[in-house]
Amino acid sequence: MPGKIRKRSPLKLPDKPYIALGLEGSANKLGAGVIKHAPNGSTTVLSNVRHTYITPPGEGFLPRDTAQHHRQWAMSVIKDAIEKAGISMHDIDCICYTKGPGMGAPLTSVALVARTLSLLYNKPLVGVNHCVGHIEMGRQITGAQNPVVLYVSGGNTQVIAYSQQCYRIFGETLDIAVGNCLDRFARVINLPNDPSPGYNIEQEAKKGTRLLPLPYTTKGMDVSLSGILTSTEAYTMDKRFRSDGRADDGDKDIITPQDLCFSLQETVFAMLVEITERAMAHIGSKEVLIVGGVGCNERLQEMMGVMAQERGGQVFATDERFCIDNGIMIAQAGLLSYRMGFQTPITKSTCTQRQVFRTDQVHVAWRA
Amino acid sequence: MQTSSSSTQLLLASSTLISQGAEAASPLRISKVFKARLHPASRNDAKNSPDEFVLLKYRFNKQYRHPTLDGTLTKARVTGEARAIVKCQRAGVNVPSVRMVDASEGVLGLHWIDGKSVRFLLGGGAEGEEEVDESTVEDVVDEEEEEDLLAGYDISKGTIYTRLVGRDASDEAVEEIMQKIGTEIAKMHRADVIHGDLTTSNMMLYHPRSGRTDLVLIDFGLAYTSTLVEDKAVDLYVLERAFSSTHPASEDLVTLVLKAYEKTMGKEWKSISRRLDDVRLRGRKRSMVG
Amino acid sequence: METFAYPQFPSDVSSVHIGLFKNVTNAAQLKQRLISAATMPGPEGEQERAAVNFAFIDARLICSLVHLQTAIYQAILAHAQGALRTRTVHSEVLWALSPSTNITDAIRRYGVSDTTESLILVRIGAQGGTSVETQMASIVKGDLSSLESLPDIADWTLIRKYHKITAPDSKKSVTDADLEKSRALVVSLVAAKGVLS
Repeated sequence: MPGKIRKRSPLKLPDKPYIALGLEGSANKLGAGVIKHAPNGSTTVLSNVRHTYITPPGEGFLPRDTAQHHRQWAMSVIKDAIEKAGISMHDIDCICYTKGPGMGAPLTSVALVARTLSLLYNKPLVGVNHCVGHIEMGRQITGAQNPVVLYVSGGNTQVIAYSQQCYRIFGETLDIAVGNCLDRFARVINLPNDPSPGYNIEQEAKKGTRLLPLPYTTKGMDVSLSGILTSTEAYTMDKRFRSDGRADDGDKDIITPQDLCFSLQETVFAMLVEITERAMAHIGSKEVLIVGGVGCNERLQEMMGVMAQERGGQVFATDERFCIDNGIMIAQAGLLSYRMGFQTPITKSTCTQRQVFRTDQVHVAWRA
Repeated sequence: MQTSSSSTQLLLASSTLISQGAEAASPLRISKVFKARLHPASRNDAKNSPDEFVLLKYRFNKQYRHPTLDGTLTKARVTGEARAIVKCQRAGVNVPSVRMVDASEGVLGLHWIDGKSVRFLLGGGAEGEEEVDESTVEDVVDEEEEEDLLAGYDISKGTIYTRLVGRDASDEAVEEIMQKIGTEIAKMHRADVIHGDLTTSNMMLYHPRSGRTDLVLIDFGLAYTSTLVEDKAVDLYVLERAFSSTHPASEDLVTLVLKAYEKTMGKEWKSISRRLDDVRLRGRKRSMVG
Repeated sequence: METFAYPQFPSDVSSVHIGLFKNVTNAAQLKQRLISAATMPGPEGEQERAAVNFAFIDARLICSLVHLQTAIYQAILAHAQGALRTRTVHSEVLWALSPSTNITDAIRRYGVSDTTESLILVRIGAQGGTSVETQMASIVKGDLSSLESLPDIADWTLIRKYHKITAPDSKKSVTDADLEKSRALVVSLVAAKGVLS
């Protein structure tokens, strides 16, 4: 029987403490974080500051306004992060920023800040893939060794596994992202965007009792979510729907917004857990790591935990500090590749909005 | 009748659980697979024909899912899988026949296919080799065994081992397998059945009694019926992705599959091909916001 | 006659006896006997019904032993789950064989008819029925034969017609492979009948 051969990590222990500043702004969160890799191999989060652009109920965030928000808050957020870390800009080894994927305008405005700081303080730049940032932070925080990663956020829904210095995408959404699906439904039933639409859906879902039939659309290891959103929306036009959630004249056959949140979550999450399970069965991993904004959802974590347990494994998840977009994850992934000798020359410090910069196109030099 | 002592549960209890390995028609996915004899030998006839074996696919309760959803889904999937198989069979697609159905218990009995998966024959397997755990070494075989991978399948003679390891698409044996794959998928699509999980693990090379070699499509767990060009294109896209993730540098193999597919598909190919291009592109552009 | 044991089923239906009779000469009489037994009153009726307590199947419509066993299995399963669609487990076998959901249709097509020459008798019951073969022989006038001859008796024109299977190209001769595929399809149709349509 072929035994387990564990390759040695190509990442050597640091010869001195390394400190990185990470800047993130691919969507409506602006984040700055400072991380330290010590010579003994330990990693310390020195600071993790975030400011979220919140729109009124029923409205999503537009690229232009979001970029403006980031520009407006960049200085104070970064200053805050540096101060909380108890360091000065001169102590930093590199400045890491999100290269993509994400919304174009917010990405470029943060990249501009990164470039400016790089020139001002003469610090090298490191462009980071947003998704890889999530994965590396998740691994760091949870200690998961080689998990199947479910990356679920407002813009991404991917099942990922590491193989040969690459994070391979095993399954993904064929249309909209799960966070997008939840956020859009939150808008339909007018839930506030504060602290986040997804959080509010989760709270409403806890009060739901009735599971309404929705399409269950897994295709291999991929999922399709737009049909489910449409069907859930259609229930709000149903004559049994009561937007106030109250049954008049004792009528029992009603549909409440809470029921819809509940049904939407149960169905969509069941699909996500299923494709994750397929990927785990496929590659034979027993660990699963959930990252991305939707990863904060406790119901999703719970369902994933039950699945992992059934397979004799376990689930790793992080709380909102690291799940939701943040600067520290960019610092972590950026510092890993910086330590492998990677830098982004200022002339190439662009951003890519589209999936031309997919998770699986990053060379994961720091893993065996 | 959902008690643990139901007839079907007793049948499962007396069967052999197939964990993994090339012999399992379907590697352990998210259902349990058993090898069983559905009809015992009669008292006056103790012959052991391999045809008597069935594969029992058991979709056990998924505790993570809402019980109502789980129940509906399980029943629908057993039903859907059985229907898709029958539909394919009517259209002349090589599939294992249905031998037993117990939808309420989530069990589907299928003809046991005594063959090897294409994934195995192409030497695909060990994914992320250094970090896999021992339960997944399904498709890893000793070199001597590999020598004879196709020997039983009078598809080609000669140094199959070297040919397969080199995965040279110009090779006859490999070419013929790829053609068979394309043909079977096209026959299936012409019957408007979408497989939903076209991977090389879900294709088996097998020779039934009459001595010829068939390529059998298995695991219709996610299959459904559709006439849409979109669905057929996505089915092919899933196949392409499966090839590239399990068999690195296999673009030329996929080309062969598609060529045979085109031949059987006829004039419907044009629109599917165009849509497949779209799907490939869309897959690359899909998500926008982090 | 052959006997098959299915230990996973409740003991009252765990044993299956199958007898194939060729050259049957009393089919018409047998059919009449079945009809009258169904309505016969009193203890005499009980006795008569017990005597003909079998599934009577026209062997021309059975293409293999597995085909027949598949129908029997689904019938017993329905019985064990309390989900019979017909009155008895024996009539359920006929229902399972027939592509139609109509039980009268099933009995008319798959049951014994005036002209039946090859007849299959199936008894689903408790274990240890040594007298079953005697009982079969006492009601059917014909030659008890091996089940292995089932494929030779099969009338493919009829089987294809009932199951709506397109006949192979008449110009070409039917190959073994064609036949094998048709047999497999028929088995599938029977096994999946409950979930088709």
